[in-house]
Amino acid sequence: MELSSTDLEFLVGSLEQLRRMSATPVLPAFSERAVSFLAQLSRLLLRDRRSGVDVKSYAYWIRKASLEAAAREGDYRNRLGRGVALHIAPSNVPVNFAVSMTSSLLAGNCTVVRVSSKRFLQVDVICEAINGLLAGEWADLRPYLCVLRYEHNPAVTQALSTQCDLRVIWGGDRTIETIRQAVLPPRAVEMAFADRYSIAVIDADTYLAEDPEDVAKRFYTDTYYTDQNACSSPRLVVWLGDAVEKARRRFWEALEGLVRQDYPMKPIQAVDKLSAVCALGMSRPGVRYCPGSSLVVRVELEELTADVMDYKCGGGCFFEYAAKDLREILPILTKRCQTVAVLGVDRKRIRELVFSGGVRGVDRIVSLGGTMELSFIWDGFKMVESMSRYVYG
Amino acid sequence: MIEEFYDRNPYGLSASEKSRMLTGELMELTRFHKDHCPEYARFLNMLGYDEAKVSSPADIPYFPVRLFKEFDLLSVRREEVFKTMTSSGTTGQRVSKIFVDKATAMRQQKVMLKILGDFWGKGRLPMLVVDTPAVLKDRKSFTARGAAILGLQFAAREMVFVLNDDMTLNVEKLRAFTEKYQGKRFVIFGFTFLVWQHFYRELLCLQERFDLSEAFLMTGGGWKKLESEAVSQAEFKERLGEVCGLRHFLDHYGMVEQTGAIYAECAWGHLHASIYSDVIIRDYRDLTPLPIGERGMVQVVSVLPRSYPGHALLTEDEGVILGEDDCPCGRKGKYIQILGRMKSAELRGCSDTYGAEFH
Repeated sequence: MELSSTDLEFLVGSLEQLRRMSATPVLPAFSERAVSFLAQLSRLLLRDRRSGVDVKSYAYWIRKASLEAAAREGDYRNRLGRGVALHIAPSNVPVNFAVSMTSSLLAGNCTVVRVSSKRFLQVDVICEAINGLLAGEWADLRPYLCVLRYEHNPAVTQALSTQCDLRVIWGGDRTIETIRQAVLPPRAVEMAFADRYSIAVIDADTYLAEDPEDVAKRFYTDTYYTDQNACSSPRLVVWLGDAVEKARRRFWEALEGLVRQDYPMKPIQAVDKLSAVCALGMSRPGVRYCPGSSLVVRVELEELTADVMDYKCGGGCFFEYAAKDLREILPILTKRCQTVAVLGVDRKRIRELVFSGGVRGVDRIVSLGGTMELSFIWDGFKMVESMSRYVYG
Repeated sequence: MIEEFYDRNPYGLSASEKSRMLTGELMELTRFHKDHCPEYARFLNMLGYDEAKVSSPADIPYFPVRLFKEFDLLSVRREEVFKTMTSSGTTGQRVSKIFVDKATAMRQQKVMLKILGDFWGKGRLPMLVVDTPAVLKDRKSFTARGAAILGLQFAAREMVFVLNDDMTLNVEKLRAFTEKYQGKRFVIFGFTFLVWQHFYRELLCLQERFDLSEAFLMTGGGWKKLESEAVSQAEFKERLGEVCGLRHFLDHYGMVEQTGAIYAECAWGHLHASIYSDVIIRDYRDLTPLPIGERGMVQVVSVLPRSYPGHALLTEDEGVILGEDDCPCGRKGKYIQILGRMKSAELRGCSDTYGAEFH
């Protein structure tokens, strides 16, 4: 099928540019033009009064110093773009399209991003800034970027896929399954960001020496800030150490205080969360409900098995497990496990466990409070490397 | 035992006596389901249920109705299941499955008859159903609409479906029915939206006038769909009165999960809990029971479900208790108002549900 303007709504770029992309020369990785373009985008967004926390943290991530530090971290001299990169952005994390676009432009690709048909102010703010730059000093980058929308249409996805060299799919298992029905050209590669879950490991004794309000704030950022529904939001808290009872009481109390004050919970979420824990409790013995506020719903588990993580809800629904030995978490480090957030536990210990156990999961070990940080490494991919091509010789 | 209830007027118990009888019966049911439904037993274990701490129906453990979508919950052997009722509910594509055996079906029918009898008098009445007979086609598995009709079938002396398969009004059937029962009491039953769309609107277009002033219009299924068309409950009644003289209205609240123990509307527009069931309004923030007059989540108990553990459930509706034992209609027990389904939450985040956009 020929792409037509009736199917596509362009936020950045045009159908003409999109059609010409296959013949557009790619750029080297971390090209001066791409870096300066993003750095200027950063300045504009930081200045824009409409920018919320998410746009600001994106803008902060792409400021000049941050990009230059990233460029120094790898060997990019022999890297250049793969060609046309098609990105399918998720529908409920508005800024994510720009994050994916950033690595793709830095890799040197002609970048096509499909954003959700849901409208977000964040998307408009970022695209407006981009259009300003492409209309002025960075006009030479116009052939390299299209941001578009289309209602789900397998023929359009196929037409876009046919001309791409790299396809990046966000949005979880079902989106991946749907998009993969569109076949890729033989040489094209794909990066798919599937459904993942994350956990926190806390040493009770270390925790008790910390400021509970401060830890609560960090954990809130990890969880409630994204409705505890991001892949990186911990849903299981594993406790180590001796004073577990005391620590957990203080931890959840402090968190609840913060949630009560900051989190706008809808009534139906109380039902959603109760449903999730009841389903878990009906499915196996060894689950203990901790009565209390429905702002923070939690159950204690007697045993960790991989399938407990199938019972998910978001919005503040937690499983807890008190471990005598860190190795007890091995069963849940499946390929669906993404981030381990730690407090009072050396990251090296988790890494050793991952390597010695040869586990399939865990792409990322961060400090508690850091799960939302933007990074050029995601889900086990070094993004710019994976989106570019290495020329040997 | 439930037989003790049968001897009473369905609205004849005052608060303390009702609480005592209900609590005893619900505790017994809790024990029964614990012994016969392994998922339910694990659920009680999870909560650390202690019978000694139960002092009112609000203390009986309850779970969200949605769980009937995730598990086949039954307290009888599968071969004893006499019919399976299904309901699609709100979330997802999966349907709830309610397993009913003969004994539970009997209770449901008996109680429904007692409740309805209190409104339109003893005995079975002829019933005109504003639906198509096709809704009952699959005898093994019923939808909410089918289940409601089936639940009423035995309460009807004769049942006539007044819609054709294409949902148009069958005027000949309507004429024959009203001629046959001219000047007598009869019942018209239908889901509110169907009554509006396929009965009221068609009557409005007819040249012929029908006199339904002796009929009871029994409705169910809620008002959300009509309210989205800006038709209020009051306007619904007024307009039906204008077009065919209807003046007896009997709306009700009920659910497939607790068939039989319906909440029927009295002349003052209040939905009444009978002695067989009760409503507890809970605060969504901590699940504690709320006093009269405060809006919250509707939790229900019913002494009827014995073949499946559905005697204490959390619905997805919001409601309010308007009063207890003091409705001007004279019926004892709580009377309530249902405020509609809770709105679903659209969470942020990157996983699964948002892939739904592509489907």
